[in-house]
Amino acid sequence: MMLPKKGDAVLVQNMTGRYGRLHTRLMLDYGTNVAAGAAPGKGGQSVEGVPVYSTVQEAVDRSGARVSVCFVPAEFTLAAGMEALNAGIKLLVIITEHVPIRDELRLVELAQKSGASIVGPNCPGLIVPSQQVKLGIMPAPSFSPGNVALFSRSGTLTYEIAGQLTAAGFGQAVAVGIGGDPINGSTPVEWMDFVQNMDESRAVVAVGEIGGDAEERLAKHIEKSGYRKPIVAYIAGRHAPKEKKMGHAGAIIYGNYGTADSKISALTAAGVRVAKTPAEVPGLLRAALS
Amino acid sequence: MRLFEYQAKDLFKQYGLPVPRSILVNDVDGIRGAFASLKPPVAVKSQVLAGGRGKAGGIALVDDPTQAEREARRIFSLAIGGEKPNSLLLEEAYPHEKEMYLSVTLDRGDRAFVAIAAAAGGVDVESMAGKVIRKIPLDGIDSAFAIEVATLLKLPPIEVAPFVSILLSLERMARERECELAEINPLAVGKDGFLMPLDAKVIIDDNALFRHPEFAKLHPEDEFEGEASRQGFAFVRLGGDIAVVGNGAGLVLSTLDLVGDAGGNPACFLDLGGGAQQERIEAALRLVNRLPGVDRILVNIYGGITRTTDVAAGINTVLAEGIVKPIYARVSGAEEEEARKLLAGTPVRMYRTAPEAVEAVVKGQ
Repeated sequence: MMLPKKGDAVLVQNMTGRYGRLHTRLMLDYGTNVAAGAAPGKGGQSVEGVPVYSTVQEAVDRSGARVSVCFVPAEFTLAAGMEALNAGIKLLVIITEHVPIRDELRLVELAQKSGASIVGPNCPGLIVPSQQVKLGIMPAPSFSPGNVALFSRSGTLTYEIAGQLTAAGFGQAVAVGIGGDPINGSTPVEWMDFVQNMDESRAVVAVGEIGGDAEERLAKHIEKSGYRKPIVAYIAGRHAPKEKKMGHAGAIIYGNYGTADSKISALTAAGVRVAKTPAEVPGLLRAALS
Repeated sequence: MRLFEYQAKDLFKQYGLPVPRSILVNDVDGIRGAFASLKPPVAVKSQVLAGGRGKAGGIALVDDPTQAEREARRIFSLAIGGEKPNSLLLEEAYPHEKEMYLSVTLDRGDRAFVAIAAAAGGVDVESMAGKVIRKIPLDGIDSAFAIEVATLLKLPPIEVAPFVSILLSLERMARERECELAEINPLAVGKDGFLMPLDAKVIIDDNALFRHPEFAKLHPEDEFEGEASRQGFAFVRLGGDIAVVGNGAGLVLSTLDLVGDAGGNPACFLDLGGGAQQERIEAALRLVNRLPGVDRILVNIYGGITRTTDVAAGINTVLAEGIVKPIYARVSGAEEEEARKLLAGTPVRMYRTAPEAVEAVVKGQ
């Protein structure tokens, strides 16, 4: 995993769609070097002055982009993701929601083979405020440069918590939306390894929710790895009913599998400070850092 | 999307999996006729999606038509997890010596589908002794894979061939129909080593339904869930009196926690989705306003891509329609002050933070 730096060329897939256009503009406004777009059959057009190519390969060849932000609809995300990975994209950020599980598994397999990283799907993307790199749809004003690494399974909750961190004077070294689906292109464990080794970050905030066992795995990993950087977590869904999909495809409790209580007790046992509400996060972080 | 047992068993049949003879009955009047064409004893099984049917009294074994009718009447009016059945499955009992467990399911942590099998079945998969778990390649399994599982389970030779055939069919079904879970629990073992699935649990990947239109019409739809899904909202009914509306699944989930902690009872979870515009706010408020049991509405918006002024304008439109129950709103983020001005002088109670709004809505002040 390599985080992009200021000025690195970025490709937008399905740039000519409604969200592609809107967020191309917002990413450019933030200072991100959106250098090329790709959309089948739309070669020769431009969006916000950025040239659009019909294939990812051509866009990559012309722009040198190794990073792509994908706004392709779910039915075609597998094809678009394969096209990007085969064309040499090394960081593929998939914003699209509703991608089928088996398509996600294929993309994960291909990314592993080609030495690439995937962020998402079903996520707000990734932002590195100090580098003015925004790869996704998050609202810029919630974020500020700093040394907290934030990763989260939820979109709006990321903005909410980043906004509260920013207001409390804790800027972010990086903020990542891991994605709300059962399958994540990169997992909380992978992000924890990455941010614990990231020089720019002093502390980690991990935001999880009900469903699956990503947080339990993260807790075990934290215990094993003996990390030094303080970690604060927040888990949404303590009052969620069982067997109901709570908005995200991955936010569902089956029996006793995936409950908030299980995640909170695993993280607490691993020495992580777990906030009861999003509003408690900055206070716990301050305490952890003092 | 979880299938009812009878739907899952229809799917089993399409893949050559054995199932006991059965008849689906939609009312008590149909019970005698159905019973007469089956060989007793017969199991009367509630067709609900909730788990723990057996424990809750949703399954009865009957020997004669009078008993069948009496049990059917009882089970039709028995709510399990708040859900009453629209139909019952009458199924021939299968005499067996022991019960096994078999499933093909997604292992989220390992990012792979896995086959899970145990020689002794049970209610709780987690604590099942001696279970075998094998990762399934994306392109499927072959006989060698299935034989390996049978060997690891130490199955007697007579059971190996039927087991291999069932695992191969189950895996093919799960792969082709994009099941998140295809589970046989219990898988009964007859005297002759023949294996018979007694229950069938199938969950289809909702996001893959566009490739499987055959499943689209399988479910009777709740009026409100149907409307919410047409509008593109994520919506779950919860039965309390406070409708919880917000933008973003995690944000709404965390709002439910705040309401629960404060002692309130959410009526629903409604996620407007990202980038929600004015018409969507209006549609959401109209929907929760007529949801039975709702007497207050909590709106929690963090403005980012969603413009808080759109939210305020949407609230104003529904207020002008004169149809709205008390609204408690926390609107924060982009264009917050303008949004506040738009709602000044209206009956909407405005708060700057989510905890403040929640405290007020729970108290009903």
